[in-house]
Amino acid sequence: MALEGNIVDASKALTLGLATGLGAIGPGIGVGYIFGKTVESVARQPELRGDLLSITFLGLALTEAITFYALLMGFVAFFLV
Amino acid sequence: MRAAASRMKWWLIATFGLLLAVPALASAAEEFDPAEEFEVGSYIPIDLGFIDLSINKAVLYMLVSSAIIILFGVFVVRGGLKMKPNKAQNVLEISYEFAEQQIAGVTLPERVFTKWFPYLATLFLFVAVNNLISFIPLPTAPHTDTFQVVGDLGLYAATANINVTLALALMTFVAFLWEGFGTHGFVGYFKTLIPPGSSKGITPFIFVLELLSQVLRLVSLSVRLFANMLAGHLLIIMAAGFSILVGSLLGVLGIPFAVFFYVFEWVLVAGLQAFIFALLSGIYIGYAAQSEH
Repeated sequence: MALEGNIVDASKALTLGLATGLGAIGPGIGVGYIFGKTVESVARQPELRGDLLSITFLGLALTEAITFYALLMGFVAFFLV
Repeated sequence: MRAAASRMKWWLIATFGLLLAVPALASAAEEFDPAEEFEVGSYIPIDLGFIDLSINKAVLYMLVSSAIIILFGVFVVRGGLKMKPNKAQNVLEISYEFAEQQIAGVTLPERVFTKWFPYLATLFLFVAVNNLISFIPLPTAPHTDTFQVVGDLGLYAATANINVTLALALMTFVAFLWEGFGTHGFVGYFKTLIPPGSSKGITPFIFVLELLSQVLRLVSLSVRLFANMLAGHLLIIMAAGFSILVGSLLGVLGIPFAVFFYVFEWVLVAGLQAFIFALLSGIYIGYAAQSEH
């Protein structure tokens, strides 16, 4: 049974899906780790909450950016190829 | 009072959801292309051959955000600064204090604080206002000949354009190289890339890696902001028009997701990405300006 359909469109869709999914694994773990550590630290020393929170958001943005590198390549493959 | 406030909140959410659904219904007659938002046709073409300075959609949005910042600052100060601040002065004071203490105060050493604080504050405000106004639907689609008052409303973020973010990142790149060469000298700056106490064999590798990571700062700084804004807008539009993309009516389940994502992006990601851009610029400049001796 032969498959019908446009292989270019199929591979573009596959690329976008794979890029988004695989690219979210690492940063997902990373972001969870950051906030887990923040909760732990605030539980130990609640008076440092403000300082720790700004470092947390810095770490969040840096880690979150890595998902977007992968998502960007997916978009490039989908829209620009 | 409580019941009235929460009822109004639900009405607002319902209206937002409906507003997001309207473009999806309206473009049912034509092609629905989520990437159409990012076409920057030119309104006033100024093509000088080797460089294209036309006023296009991105330039327009950048001019609007600059006008907002400048006029806001000028008129609030001109109205007289009072000891008991009114709302507008409060906003001004909060943004100034935020930039002074959370961005420049944390990252810049004392020696260069007055030199680079205006740059960091301007960077933060410019990127923040550009990100924030990108979520207001405006009739600025370039494929119509004039601005239609009732016409193609569209969202657009100037920072969703790699040229804009690359230009801002290039300014930071030049700034921290300037500080680095100024503090350590031209050759001395490359000497700081080698960590002390590394053995003779491994030093070339470390040097190349450090050099690469310094150059990659430019890429990561611009791509982080660009991809965040681009992905945010694309996801909102694709989720809102999901029924068209999928081809069945079940796709309207994407609209609550689009509303949630819209609120999330506008409230959190817009300001956070501006803060991160300015903070990282400050970190790079501050680190380069530190004399380690």
